[in-house]
Amino acid sequence: MSKQSLIDAESASRVGTVAATATGEVNRRDWQRWAAAVGDHNPLWFDPEYARTQGYRDIICPPLYLQYAILGVTPLDGLRPDGSSGAVSGSLAFPRAPKRMAGGESTTFHGPAYHRDEIEMVRTIESIVEKQGRSGRFVLVSWRTVYRNQRVELVAEATTSMIARP
Amino acid sequence: MAREQIFYEDVHPGDALPTLAVTADETQLFFFSAATYNGHRIHYDKDWARTVEGYNDVIVQGPLQAALLARAITDWIGGRGRLVEYSVQNRAVATAGEELNFGGSVTAKRLADNVGLVDLEIAGRRGDTVLMPGTATVALPLRGDQP
Repeated sequence: MSKQSLIDAESASRVGTVAATATGEVNRRDWQRWAAAVGDHNPLWFDPEYARTQGYRDIICPPLYLQYAILGVTPLDGLRPDGSSGAVSGSLAFPRAPKRMAGGESTTFHGPAYHRDEIEMVRTIESIVEKQGRSGRFVLVSWRTVYRNQRVELVAEATTSMIARP
Repeated sequence: MAREQIFYEDVHPGDALPTLAVTADETQLFFFSAATYNGHRIHYDKDWARTVEGYNDVIVQGPLQAALLARAITDWIGGRGRLVEYSVQNRAVATAGEELNFGGSVTAKRLADNVGLVDLEIAGRRGDTVLMPGTATVALPLRGDQP
């Protein structure tokens, strides 16, 4: 195959390096807005009295929301043409594969996060590989992400992936 | 809000979770993008989704499908159940207005240090098409445990 790789040398050189670090405060109203957008009205996310009867000291952050608590701020003129910020991907560009979509996620949850917990995320680029799918070639990028709270307790560990297509 | 609690002893391999049926409309997609600080135009700009990225319409966020599938699990495990591991893959896209179904079944159970762990095979589907396959492990309380 004489086709040029979809993975440019600059991106390839970043495998194994830290793609992004971020910190953020877990916020009850933010996770409740997320839960409402999912139609998820689980009282563990909303009702402190209920949460306490279930063994928690207060309402807890929905496990899948944790990944958004650390998102920063992107100026409008810093967005990609497709409107995405690129922050979570560590600004891997793939000029030969500019269309992107979420690939998948695999997460282990070690403990709950509460309102006003300070979360630190460290994301490392685990692999970048080119694959052949039903609808053509694509790049599969995998990150390993660790989330710890202000007591340096491990809250969650995740492997996430993204698909970039020409 | 009273919710029924399911216990480790109650579940067996082959048991099915109740299926969650959701038709995400454009308003829901907008709010989910807002709640996740996701500016990707394929979720709100039909013209961009069609002409630039080749979709038929604005598409449902992969993370929204994942959140709905997790909701099917956390609804089932009750307030004392805990989501321990969660793994999903985006296999196919869904567009706004399509009815999607989220559910799964029990594949195995085991006790580890007196914690009741239950393995699940899960999927988000549109009709017979699997959009989002995955696996999960949940911890369920044992009868007699105190919360």
